[in-house]
Amino acid sequence: MNDALKIRILQGDPIVHDVRTAEFPSRYRGLPFIADKECLSGCNKCVEVCPTNAIKQNPISIDLGLCVFCPSCEETCPEGIIHFTQDYHTAIDIRENLLITKETKSVKSDEASEIIRKYFGKSLKLRQISAGGCNGCELELNALSNVNFDMGRYGIEFVASPRHADGVVITGPITHNMAKATEIAYEAVPNPKVVILFGTCAISGGIFQNSKELERQFLEEHKIDLFIPGCPPHPLTFINGLLDWLNK
Amino acid sequence: MKLLEVPNNQMFKIDELQFIKRDDFYTSVYELIQNGSRMIALTPIDKNAPQKIIAALANSQSSTIQIIGGVFDNDKLELQSWANEFPQTNYFECELSENYGYVPIDHPWLRPVRKQNVILNNTPYQFFKLEGEEVHEVAVGPIHAGVIEPGHFRFQCHGELVYNLEINLGYQHRNVENLILNARPQQRIILSESIAGDTTIGHVFAHCNTIEALSQTQLSLRAEVIRTIAAEIERVAMHLAGLSGISNDIGFALPSSSYGRLRTLAINSLAVICGSRFGRGLFVYGGVRFDLNDEVLDVVKSNLLTIQSDVQKINDYLFASVGALSRFEETGIINTDLAKNIGLVGLAARASGNEEDTRIHFPYGAYRYNPISTITLSTGDVYARARLRALEIDEALKFIFDQIENLPHGEIKSDVGKISAHSGIVSIVEGWRGEIVHIGFTDENANMLNYKIKDPSFNNWYGLSLALRETGISDFPLCNKSFDLSYSGHDL
Repeated sequence: MNDALKIRILQGDPIVHDVRTAEFPSRYRGLPFIADKECLSGCNKCVEVCPTNAIKQNPISIDLGLCVFCPSCEETCPEGIIHFTQDYHTAIDIRENLLITKETKSVKSDEASEIIRKYFGKSLKLRQISAGGCNGCELELNALSNVNFDMGRYGIEFVASPRHADGVVITGPITHNMAKATEIAYEAVPNPKVVILFGTCAISGGIFQNSKELERQFLEEHKIDLFIPGCPPHPLTFINGLLDWLNK
Repeated sequence: MKLLEVPNNQMFKIDELQFIKRDDFYTSVYELIQNGSRMIALTPIDKNAPQKIIAALANSQSSTIQIIGGVFDNDKLELQSWANEFPQTNYFECELSENYGYVPIDHPWLRPVRKQNVILNNTPYQFFKLEGEEVHEVAVGPIHAGVIEPGHFRFQCHGELVYNLEINLGYQHRNVENLILNARPQQRIILSESIAGDTTIGHVFAHCNTIEALSQTQLSLRAEVIRTIAAEIERVAMHLAGLSGISNDIGFALPSSSYGRLRTLAINSLAVICGSRFGRGLFVYGGVRFDLNDEVLDVVKSNLLTIQSDVQKINDYLFASVGALSRFEETGIINTDLAKNIGLVGLAARASGNEEDTRIHFPYGAYRYNPISTITLSTGDVYARARLRALEIDEALKFIFDQIENLPHGEIKSDVGKISAHSGIVSIVEGWRGEIVHIGFTDENANMLNYKIKDPSFNNWYGLSLALRETGISDFPLCNKSFDLSYSGHDL
């Protein structure tokens, strides 16, 4: 008993108290900032170097749904136009709004519909489906339940059975071999239900977008409620996205 | 015997290989395994011309990689199976058969590796089935109860006891190997970081070694050391995650949450170094992208010191608990001979008394100058796999502190040369689970002909399967976590 208490005291108070304005390391790559400057004439280095074709030119835009947050574009740009900031509030409810331009200063999702907020505002149980995820996103989702992030304090939790869930969180680019299981798990969730895409692979296929082993039909057939970009997204990005969306 | 022997990460010309006929190929490989070598790959040189294959074997005694070439008839891709004598080759043969249509003659049990609904010998594949009174079958997955990757498990049970567990994977198959073949350099790095997200550094390390060896790129000592520091932090982080999971699976909340808290410190250290909690973006061809300045080192050192002092106390608490020990000890045993026979690697092999550690036997990067000591335990049960994690965390931390104290000066990135034409390379790296192998072959225009990846999970899933025999099915989660294998690393 004494030993247990000692271990508990050792634990201290590791929780992130303020999830809204946590401090991130200076090298963390969050929301990209695009400076209002002209590209050098004929320069398309950022477009060429981007591994997932997330960047378009004239004017420069970055699709956060494709971006894997490797800093290749930032380090290649001779004019310093692209810069990754420490802003981790990148979750959003509309796919098109993941397109970052020089006008973008921040992104924030709108409130969910009244019925969603009424049903799930105080308690949201989610079933996670890994459909080709590399275990990076899965580990970050697991971290949400640890003593540092403790998502349970907001009434948001992962559950074992889709029957007990109010929605699904999909990670991975949805492989051909997981397409059917993904559909079955979604069907098993009672209505109304939400679909959240966690990570770049889930949103767009990411680095696997050209793989012939993917089957992303599911995403065309169902409404997606929330997009969490990142490779993998930080746990706090997920929490903040949900808090904004549920208006908590 | 016509074999090519090379050290780890040494490029060779494809012309140096001799391709021998089926029977010679069989005997040569047979003799090597009999003399203590371990199969690490069985794959064609060229993905589009499968009649020429190589068998690559690792010999820990001589620290060499032995490569034997075999040539087969295009219209009759048949090779003699070694799996009856040496079960370690079983899965490699299954893979070669599934990917290229080879038929391993006398193979004991041809199984699908990654494909679903496969047809073998003109019939759809059927799971192994036990028949008899009071026998029952339990099917789990692909989707499991936790936040975890998908895989299908088929148990044949008699009451509580598991007679056989068949593990059916492939749900995560994204075609990584083929994507790497045609990818641009920056894409190749991201792809290798995404083979198994929990072993980001392990795989990208092996991939960079492969490309740097093919392009004869010399790294600065500083870059090498920063890479190994990152690799060891990854080991510490994932071993802490493993211990947290193991504690959780026996319902022991306090160590579980404490280990979890320490893991956060470890991966946050990686985020301080390179911006990503998993070490993404750190590796570039020719070195590393981010330097360890004093500001970074201060945070990393302080985080790791906290881990070093706290983890001892939590270990003492966990491993002194009679309740925990009664669940750990003699659960899911793989003995030393069995581990060797089925070719277990890494942590699981060392827990079973096999001194397999590629950092020692096939040193690469900074391990060439600064050896790390390897630890083995003998009981091969859940206890050994848990305890070994605790011991390896300690060893890794000592190694990291030592490296930080003696950090060499210099540049962190060297110029990358041109990739050599008509060449091959085998690169071995010890990820936190065990031996990661990346193999590359180039054609006369220095384009990739084949890129083969082997995650340690490829060897070790079979170990989990056998560990479950004669064990209560309720111990499955605990055994599974004690191996903690990768689905995506296996499925590619």
